[in-house]
Amino acid sequence: MRLLAVLLFGLLLTAPVAAQNAPEPDPFVASTYLNAINVRSGPGETFAAVTSLGKGIPVRIVERNRVGTWLHIQRDDGAGGLILDGWVVGGYLDLADNLRYSELPVNDSLPDADPSSQNSQSMKLLYAVPVMPFISPAMHDLFLKGLQMGNRSNAVTKVGDSLVANEYYLQLMNRPDNNLGHYDFLAETIAYFGASAAQPSAAARVGLSTAVIFDPMWADSTRCEAGETALDCEYRLKMPGVALVMFGPNDVLHISPKAYYDGMEKIVQRSLEKGVIPVLFTFSYNPDSELWQEALAFNLSLVEIANQYQVPLVNLWAAARIIPDYGLDTDLVHLKNSGFEYLNFANGNEAFYGVAMQNLLAVRVLDEIRRGIIMTSLAG
Amino acid sequence: MRKLFLVMIALLLTACGGGSGNGDPAGAVQRYLQAKVSGDAEGVRSLLCAAMEADAEREAASFATVSGASIEGMTCARDGETDRVKCEGKIVATYGQEKTEFPLGTYSVVQEDGEWKWCGEAS
Repeated sequence: MRLLAVLLFGLLLTAPVAAQNAPEPDPFVASTYLNAINVRSGPGETFAAVTSLGKGIPVRIVERNRVGTWLHIQRDDGAGGLILDGWVVGGYLDLADNLRYSELPVNDSLPDADPSSQNSQSMKLLYAVPVMPFISPAMHDLFLKGLQMGNRSNAVTKVGDSLVANEYYLQLMNRPDNNLGHYDFLAETIAYFGASAAQPSAAARVGLSTAVIFDPMWADSTRCEAGETALDCEYRLKMPGVALVMFGPNDVLHISPKAYYDGMEKIVQRSLEKGVIPVLFTFSYNPDSELWQEALAFNLSLVEIANQYQVPLVNLWAAARIIPDYGLDTDLVHLKNSGFEYLNFANGNEAFYGVAMQNLLAVRVLDEIRRGIIMTSLAG
Repeated sequence: MRKLFLVMIALLLTACGGGSGNGDPAGAVQRYLQAKVSGDAEGVRSLLCAAMEADAEREAASFATVSGASIEGMTCARDGETDRVKCEGKIVATYGQEKTEFPLGTYSVVQEDGEWKWCGEAS
């Protein structure tokens, strides 16, 4: 009896040790928590569905797209033959806590969409734009010019209407409780830009449009000088190296595509004069809206401007197509908040909420700029 | 006697009205701001200085993206004999459920063909 007690005691003592020694789950194995999800031939919803994946079936993750929103999965038959091979939305999978996207190979050879699947010429053109831009060499020169003008390399600001003025967009970057989930590689970029991103922008305001951003009456009189535009005011106050610019949902209600083009071009030109890298964002819109065609035209004008001036263009419009209601809130204009008051890239939030996707793309493009331009410029 | 009294009243009203017409810089600014807030393109065009003619469309559509724009507590006065008019009060408007305000400031005026015109914010 005494021996049994000693044995039991010994087992109790060793149990936690055994648990501690249990191997970590394989980070590259996952399954979906949804009943069934489409597996596609490429990293986007315009690629053909090749099969579906049922709930709980384990698959191996072999690579990701550049943003990190789509994962390439495979499943073999145990004898080396593939029985499943394709791409799924990462947010639809239960991913192991120890999966780090920094350790997952990136496929940057496949495009983000298959434009040939679309009937509309406008949609073909918009889908042809990568979700995450490749930063042009011209931006390297612009960044150096900005530094000479006194701009701060680690300062970022935002320019736009209520979708941009939203305090849950970008301003959360400095919070200590941010949860990056599997996007571990974004931590340094968030730390680098966080303090400046937390400051509200004088160039982001409800009701602001590409036209009135040049009307000094719309500038914040408590921070801006008399006669100064909101854009000039923000650039003077923050001296940013980068500005994330998004207009559209307001403009499309009130102005023509030509006026929108002119306004956006003026914003880009002014940013270039000030040595600020303007990162343009396409905007999500409801296809059932009467103004859908106009919204497409507005977004296409951004493609034209971005090409002309070699400035980065983030294709939020395309990225948001996988999100329920295209990432829009019940008013079908504003992007939907996830409800988290900190950046939360865990649990696939970006696949369900417009603001989560907007934040992810913003941080991702800042990461591209920091690694591709800022670090190399400062090192040189 | 009654006729003379009516004539005097009419003269008095005309004199007072002159204070808010284009012959008076403060009045011109007030009328300009009213036209801008109400989206009155013709009013904006007629009270905008020639140097800002290219901005007329933008000025007239400045509050198109918000609703119910109006001016509260506006009083304007010329700053001595300068070409500046200082206004108190604010423009209020709503966007969705959110109220947004634009405090009035100090504006430049110029006289063109004998008429005072609004010419942007004074720096």
